[in-house]
Amino acid sequence: MANSLFEEKLNSDVFLVTTEIGPPKGADVSEMVHHMDLLKDKVDAINVTDHQSSVMRFPSLGGCLLVKERGGEPILQITCRDRNRLAIQADLLLAYSRDIKNVLCLTGDSIDVGDHKEAKPVFDLDSVQLLRMAREMESGKDMGGNELRGVPQFCLGASVHPEADFIEPQLIKFEKKVIAGAQFFQTQGIFDLENLRRFMQYASQFNVKILAGIIVLASARMARYMNDNVPGIIVSQAIIDELANVEKGKGLQKGVEIAARLMKTIREENLCHGVHIMAVGNERIVPDILEAAQPVSTHR
Amino acid sequence: MIVAEQKPVEEIRRVIAPYERVLLLGCGTCVTVCGAGGEREVSFLNSALRVAQARSGDGIHSFSEYTVKRQCDFEFLDVLADKVNEVDAILSLGCGIGVQVVAERFPDIPVLPGVNTSFMGMAKEWGVWDERCAACGDCRLAETAGICPITRCTKGILNGPCAGTKNGKCEANKDMDCAWILIYKRLERLQQLEKMRRYYPPRNFRVIPRPRRIVKKIDVDLGEDNG
Amino acid sequence: MDNYQASRMREASRGRGLIPPCQVACPLHMEIGEYVDLVAQGKVMEALQVIRDGNPFPSICAYVCTHPCEDACRRSQVDKPIAIRALKRFAVEFGGDRMIQLEAETKQSEKVAVVGSGPAGLACAYYLRKLGYPVTIFEAYSELGGMLRVGIPQYRLPREVVDTEVQRLIHMGVEIKANTRVISLDLLFDMGYKAVFITVGAHQSLRMGIEGEESPGVIDGATFLREVNLGLKPSLGEEVAVVGGGNVAMDAARAAVRLGVSKVNILYRRSRAEMPAGPDEITQATEEGVETMFLVAPTKMKRENGRLSVTCVRMELGEPDAGGRRRPVPIEDSEFNMEFDTLITAIGQAPQISENFRLRIGRGSTIQVDPVTLTTNRTGVFAGGDAVTGPATVTQALASGRQAAFRIDDYLRHRYPLVDREAEGTLSGELLPKTIEMIRKIERLEPPLLPPEARTKEFKAVELIYNWEAAVDEARRCLRCGMGAEILFQDKCATCLTCLRVCPYHVPYLDEAGTIQIPADQCQACGICVTECPARAIVLRKPSDRRQIDEELEHALKSAAESKSKPLIIGFCCQYGLFGTGALASLWREGKAGIWIVPVLCVAKLEGEHILRAFEMGAEGVFIAGCGEQCSRENTAFWVLQRVEKVRQALVQIGLEAERLQTFNLRAAEENIAQALDTFTEQIGGLCLASVIKQEVKS
Repeated sequence: MANSLFEEKLNSDVFLVTTEIGPPKGADVSEMVHHMDLLKDKVDAINVTDHQSSVMRFPSLGGCLLVKERGGEPILQITCRDRNRLAIQADLLLAYSRDIKNVLCLTGDSIDVGDHKEAKPVFDLDSVQLLRMAREMESGKDMGGNELRGVPQFCLGASVHPEADFIEPQLIKFEKKVIAGAQFFQTQGIFDLENLRRFMQYASQFNVKILAGIIVLASARMARYMNDNVPGIIVSQAIIDELANVEKGKGLQKGVEIAARLMKTIREENLCHGVHIMAVGNERIVPDILEAAQPVSTHR
Repeated sequence: MIVAEQKPVEEIRRVIAPYERVLLLGCGTCVTVCGAGGEREVSFLNSALRVAQARSGDGIHSFSEYTVKRQCDFEFLDVLADKVNEVDAILSLGCGIGVQVVAERFPDIPVLPGVNTSFMGMAKEWGVWDERCAACGDCRLAETAGICPITRCTKGILNGPCAGTKNGKCEANKDMDCAWILIYKRLERLQQLEKMRRYYPPRNFRVIPRPRRIVKKIDVDLGEDNG
Repeated sequence: MDNYQASRMREASRGRGLIPPCQVACPLHMEIGEYVDLVAQGKVMEALQVIRDGNPFPSICAYVCTHPCEDACRRSQVDKPIAIRALKRFAVEFGGDRMIQLEAETKQSEKVAVVGSGPAGLACAYYLRKLGYPVTIFEAYSELGGMLRVGIPQYRLPREVVDTEVQRLIHMGVEIKANTRVISLDLLFDMGYKAVFITVGAHQSLRMGIEGEESPGVIDGATFLREVNLGLKPSLGEEVAVVGGGNVAMDAARAAVRLGVSKVNILYRRSRAEMPAGPDEITQATEEGVETMFLVAPTKMKRENGRLSVTCVRMELGEPDAGGRRRPVPIEDSEFNMEFDTLITAIGQAPQISENFRLRIGRGSTIQVDPVTLTTNRTGVFAGGDAVTGPATVTQALASGRQAAFRIDDYLRHRYPLVDREAEGTLSGELLPKTIEMIRKIERLEPPLLPPEARTKEFKAVELIYNWEAAVDEARRCLRCGMGAEILFQDKCATCLTCLRVCPYHVPYLDEAGTIQIPADQCQACGICVTECPARAIVLRKPSDRRQIDEELEHALKSAAESKSKPLIIGFCCQYGLFGTGALASLWREGKAGIWIVPVLCVAKLEGEHILRAFEMGAEGVFIAGCGEQCSRENTAFWVLQRVEKVRQALVQIGLEAERLQTFNLRAAEENIAQALDTFTEQIGGLCLASVIKQEVKS
């Protein structure tokens, strides 16, 4: 029996579409709620990011509660950067108690890339250990071996990096995550479908669902900036050139076009099980992408 | 060995400001090797402080210098017993251990630090020192082909790499190699890649609670009946 | 070895580092490394002082010494040996040797007779006179100098040089009796002399022992050269043969050329490799048109039709003889004839000692002596020079004369003649390939010569003198053997491996016990490890080197304080470059407007503390002027800049501007040093003004 609506869809053959919303830097959640309303019926689940790029923001757990409130299906993102194992276990209990059962388990970006560079990095666990820990909680015990009163159940996911320039260590890690309990993967941004194909040749031997990450770029400059500064992003030169060749002001439009094109190809050629759209601040144009990539699976 | 870096002269000047007679105390072991607090550095600092004093005109300080073989053992400090009576403060260029041992040995006189003790590491070449060991107390170099993931991976994770590695370098510092790529390559060379496929559970941080202590001395029972 | 030599060596090893091979090889054990280094620093007068300290007649040696020092020079393991003799000549000429007057007073009553006024006799007289003895030199000829006068032609040793030395001796009070042949030693003792030094040289030419040697037109080399040197011009005809391969043969051949002979042939019975003459002699002779026939020896001669018909046979080299040289063996049926107008024999000389002297004579007609005391079989009679050794070099004769003087002194003062052991601490190892590789190869600068056409017209001196720049550059090639670094304080050494890593020559190494060793015979004395050692455990072996910068700096600061010129700028300048280019020489003398120069023997030895001390004592600006990449040692510029950056960082933290410390390259062609200094002085002036204003604003 599936633990959540999202898990139900995972277990079926439907082409999955998820997206993510970045919380605000501050207590004013009105815009975030607005995005949630815009997207909740158009996608299968919404991720709320957790201090993405180590920039301090409104927490993922709080965002997921809001998604639930607005009637959407949330995916909680937990990183190991800011909390030790006690805090993470506690957050998982809270999430489960409020019916938030989809959890994306991440190691987290390093403190240095963010805006609180002097903070203490925790990293009590890494993503693999976090997956294992969540699974162990499902069997009724915490990490200390103590019995839990009220045992949680989760639908667990993790990330993977098919476009990494040195792929073998990433595949080893991928396998470890699968063994540790990941059911679905949202990949880092895909720009070159060849890499995705190659990765899927390896990944399809495992009984997990892969959602290809699609980043919406707004300009060549943004692409280059992300290349240099954001961990896990490698934008191909072809895409950068494509963005550079449009007239001023039409960058985002181009970005939308590229995203839709990728999504369409993935779906038509059945390259993987779905996509995860990352609009990085431009959440409002996600519906446009979905439209442009018709026919696309919509919320059922 | 222990690698340290001398504090900026202005910081040192601020710290010694209230004291008239200051003994600049060097250490002949680790901080000599890394060029932070040996006899030469003591002499250089002395010169620099005197220049600062001469230029500013308010010359209340008088400096003396001495370098002991090590500051982290009491026996080496006996030779200072008379000297400390003639000064108002000691500026130690030894590592954090040295400063504290000197302070414990001479509790009636302020002992101030002159270096920032940074890490335990090695010299890659003259003038370049890299951190290698975090003293985690739970060494697992057998599993990672002799490359420490705690010190050389920014996040210190045990099931690496993370997604931030690019061109074999770390997301946090593009001059630093990604430790897990190094580990992968060396395990491959040793034909021991299965070590990387293993699941490594979270670290036991219990060895870390400060301050740590290691006891080599064994309590033996010297009962009357036994020889 | 006599007391004097031994005590020199001992002092050398104590006070000035290990004794380098050049000094060991020199018969007089002169402090060669010391004076070469002084020449490199441009301190010619001091260099001359050191030279005169070890050599009574440096001007003579400067012309004709056979330089065994150069043969032992370790620079030949890298490229070519240092041109030590030419540098000595430079020091003698430019250091004003000619002006030096010598005085001596009589402190003893015992008279000493010196028989023979060759180099050994002159040296013995010199040292005896300095010891205070009344000395008389007896010379059979009218001219003094022995072989220096009658043997060596003037194009190698001008007569004025010998004359000057003889005059100096007379001025010191040495009595000279020329044209006086001593026929009996008893007579000398009757005359009141208490000791006699026989040094009559080896002037008797050896005979070839072949048929026709008595024929007219055959003349022996020693006689020939004597006649030439005394101003007679023997007529030789058009074609001359010289038999022999030593320096006398070369001298005879080249003298013949200068007398106008159109064809001069040397006939030598071995091959070129075995020729005893100096390689320079052979080269210069060939340039002057002398032809040499090797593996040829005359077997008989006869006078025919007004010419000499000489029958020669070809030789081949057989087994080595007792001396190690391969013995020439005549090839059967290889005779051939040549015709000459004159044949000069120069196959060796021997002493001719009168039987009246009743001295024990040994092999080669030489006088037998005790090698330590130079005493003969007769009490009070000593002997030395060629008369004892057979034909040898001028410098060996000087050494012999000096030894005799001190032994005669022992004898007259009734002292037991102690045998001094060789001083400890000599250095002679081979340079390791890894070190040789790192030493920059620099061409040896030969002293300039007169062009061959100019030479052959007359008997003017062939060899000219270096100019300043050439002398300094050649002297800087010296490896400074034995003057390098050592770990003096092993207990301070933390084995941090800094010295091993920074040495450009890969000299320090870790031995099996894990201790750092800096082998003295490899160290190139650049000084980098000394200044970089974090424990200050390494020092330079020469104590004067260790103190040098501190003393010079304090001296400059004191002078600057007294003069009170503002703003005070201290400049640390490489002494080696200072005079080599002359760039800062004028500044040095003027003490221009507040700039005080501290000469250092390579800026690599400058420590950060020295620079800070200058600022502490009131300097507003400091500059360092080095030789950049032209430094005779590798990598020094890099380390100086490292140190400069470190001091600059400290200055900034103290509140001083980094621009107050500058570096200049004395050897850079583009940089006009005087202009750069003017700019720097202005800049410093500006900074001072700015800080004064800041002070006023604050208050």
